[in-house]
Amino acid sequence: MNRVVIVPCSGIGKSYGTVAREGAYVVTEDLRPDTTQLVPLSLLVLGDEQARADVSGAQAITIDGCKLACATKMVAESGGTVAHDLAVLDVYRRHRNLKPAGIAELNKGGQRLAQALAEEVATLVDEMTGEVKNA
Amino acid sequence: MPDLPKKKVGIVACSGEEMAEGTVTRLAALRVLEQLRPNETVTICLPLFLAGGEGDRAFARFYPTIAIDGCDKRCAARGTEMYSGKPAASIVVTDAIQTNHLGTARRLSEAGMQAVDVVAEQVTQQVDELLGVKWDRKQGQSSKEAQPAEGLEAKIATCSCGSGIPIQKVQLDGQEVSFIALPLIFEQFRDAGKLPGDGTTAELMETVKVYNPIPDGQEAAYAQAVTREYTAFCQEKN
Repeated sequence: MNRVVIVPCSGIGKSYGTVAREGAYVVTEDLRPDTTQLVPLSLLVLGDEQARADVSGAQAITIDGCKLACATKMVAESGGTVAHDLAVLDVYRRHRNLKPAGIAELNKGGQRLAQALAEEVATLVDEMTGEVKNA
Repeated sequence: MPDLPKKKVGIVACSGEEMAEGTVTRLAALRVLEQLRPNETVTICLPLFLAGGEGDRAFARFYPTIAIDGCDKRCAARGTEMYSGKPAASIVVTDAIQTNHLGTARRLSEAGMQAVDVVAEQVTQQVDELLGVKWDRKQGQSSKEAQPAEGLEAKIATCSCGSGIPIQKVQLDGQEVSFIALPLIFEQFRDAGKLPGDGTTAELMETVKVYNPIPDGQEAAYAQAVTREYTAFCQEKN
């Protein structure tokens, strides 16, 4: 089975964007490196053939930092299938003690929120790939 | 260019998540936006050119932009030009930095952080050139600070996500035409006491043309439509 494609928002103006980015790294590098693949949003914006092929040939999980949902919209526009679209704000609502701050560098709350987000994504990845692991 | 809401430079970083150079663009952009030139710069997320609205796509036609790219694919520069407007300047990290040891996209090495400094400095120089200001290093601010227009500063904050550039749709020969920045231009003219009339129309159109291309042979029709809208704007405000 193809790896699950993870596409985070590349938001640069808000902490939630950084949480999305950091959460994507945690999933693709730490939690599920063998079953996930990170696809950069900027390549999709440019219509890069390889990035479009990666997205169109796999199920994707998008992680958006704001309601404009750039990641979700771009995957759909690139011919991909968005299996799950997560919003950092929704994850924060489930973990209100983890308030993110900082963009260039996340505070502790933001880092822990990114970890919580990544664990939610990992669970979804396991469901999609049929694997059961402890996140 | 007219002195609309305080003139700023737009910064568009590729932010490429898969490579260290992408992180360098992101952190360099943030360094400029947050620390080096916070009052002179504004940003937008690259994907908003596609995922956002017309106001977002007008970004590079409203602000002179600097694209910061991590590699020679130049997603930020090409994406900005493709969907918004040609960047005034373009910086590519792999051209600016002569090392391959920047760390990872997730965690930059010391060399990577030095690369951020170098790129941020290059961006800052470009910002100053585009704004035509000399930076007073002693004072830590530009030597000729432009004054922000009242009430507009908060609307155009550091991050442009969701705010976009104000657009006004105008009926012109039975078609709807979008004018970039028209509400701001009207507001500025009215605040300056320039009321609708023959004397104002020429100056108004000069300003409108900075942000809006006018097709050949349609100057008169555009002037008529803009004057009509400006008259309605002023009447509404009275």
